[in-house]
Amino acid sequence: MMAFFKAEKKLGVSDGKRRYDLPLNKDSGTGFLVLLIGLMTFLALMTLLGSFLLSAVSNRWESGLENKATIEIPAENPDGSLRNKKTISDLSQKVALILKQRGSTHDIKILSGSDIQNLVSPWLGSDVNLAEVTLPGLISVSLTDSTPVLIADIQQDIEKIAANIHIDTHQAWLSDILRFTSALQFATLTISLIIGLTTATAIAGAIKSRIAIHKKDVELLHLMGASDSYISRQFQRHAFILSFQGALGGTLAGFLALGLIRLIGGVSAQGLLPDLVPGLFHIVLLALLPVLVCAIAVMAARHTVLRALSVMP
Amino acid sequence: MIKFDHVGLRYGVGPEVLSDINFILEPGSFHFLTGPSGSGKTSLMNLMFLGRRPTRGLISMFDHNINDLEREKLAPIRRRIGVVFQEFRLLPHLSSFDNVALPLRILGRPEREIRNNVNELLEWVGLGDYKNALPQTLSGGQQQRVAIARAVIARPKLLLADEPTGNLDDEIGFRLMNLFEQLNRMGTTIVIATHSQQIIDKFGHPRMILEAGTLKIEAPKNWIQKKIQGVF
Repeated sequence: MMAFFKAEKKLGVSDGKRRYDLPLNKDSGTGFLVLLIGLMTFLALMTLLGSFLLSAVSNRWESGLENKATIEIPAENPDGSLRNKKTISDLSQKVALILKQRGSTHDIKILSGSDIQNLVSPWLGSDVNLAEVTLPGLISVSLTDSTPVLIADIQQDIEKIAANIHIDTHQAWLSDILRFTSALQFATLTISLIIGLTTATAIAGAIKSRIAIHKKDVELLHLMGASDSYISRQFQRHAFILSFQGALGGTLAGFLALGLIRLIGGVSAQGLLPDLVPGLFHIVLLALLPVLVCAIAVMAARHTVLRALSVMP
Repeated sequence: MIKFDHVGLRYGVGPEVLSDINFILEPGSFHFLTGPSGSGKTSLMNLMFLGRRPTRGLISMFDHNINDLEREKLAPIRRRIGVVFQEFRLLPHLSSFDNVALPLRILGRPEREIRNNVNELLEWVGLGDYKNALPQTLSGGQQQRVAIARAVIARPKLLLADEPTGNLDDEIGFRLMNLFEQLNRMGTTIVIATHSQQIIDKFGHPRMILEAGTLKIEAPKNWIQKKIQGVF
């Protein structure tokens, strides 16, 4: 295999400064192709960035809520009458005590009235005087695991204190959210794939038109004994140069746009969304996008040229 | 050795332009290919430089049966053939130097060797001052000399030339014929398609005469005499 690549590399390539046998760099439409590749790279970068962001969001939510539960002491009695604040506070203390006694729980925190007011105020608006409203009691608790058996067991224990006290593991809405973000991630990756295929098709089309323009010259090289690889390398080199220019421009534009988005979007104050700047690993991946685009371009060019040459005798 | 055995060629569903062509070219032989216009000279040349495959018959070149050979295995055989096309077929964006250097680059020769050989040959064909000139700035005769230099630069085993002296004055024409003679003496098999009776008579090599798609070979008496003397 190595011998093949060595021979392939040597055949038809002079030791000195290499030049095109075919005037591909002088063809019209190269600027358009560079622009097209640049735009495709920009779109791919933005789509991948979206995918990374979605991945970070779902990871954050998933890890943040793993084995976490909230116990709610409703503001109403099971018969519909309102509980007063003291009753709710007493019930909260009882529940916390039971949780401490039963084990398999830690970090039990009874949320203060102001904490609860902060949580509900965005939904109720600033006009409501929350000090006058009886709010439910909330207890945040970490569990050793969140098996249905354990959750049912805890539910049974806390129901003994009051029938309508219940535990919520967030799984119902979290699984919905995670399914939704997974679907979005799949969509972004599909779009990236389509962008890659479109780029490959555009390059193949451009190479096809260049083969048509230089058909006689290509035929001459073929008749002089140039191997298919020798001829193909001319087009591959051309595709590489154009795609590198376009991809580099597209990537730089993408990073510039990312900077602008971060500037406009700012940093999430609630920690609900991750930072818009991806991590180092993802930045390296995005920076490698030109390499991927060049590889796609070179492969598309090679495939197109070899197919065109295969019909020659 | 090049052998054509009952070779026929037709384009598409048209009539045969070459039918039942039989000949053997021994290594180091020299032949003129003649015949009236439309007799199939270019088609025969096409088959000889592997620009087409025959529609029937067998072609054998350098111990390879061309009919059975896979297309990728034809490239090394083509690299042993030098061709001077009637319409020159120089690459218009390349200088005289780069046009002549092309076969050596295809062969992967080192750049230093390419530079030395190409410069020497361009001087020899009288184009030393035109090595950086593009083909369109050269006269027909100069272009023809570039085409000839390109065909012979890699010392091919078989040289095919279609009217190589057609656009040249007598002096340059004879000089180039002497170049072909020298190559022939070094072992290159040569076939030259020409209408020039003057050149055929002067150099006295056997003639392959094509008429209406069929071929016959005639050797002049003095050539036969020389061969007989060579035997004894």
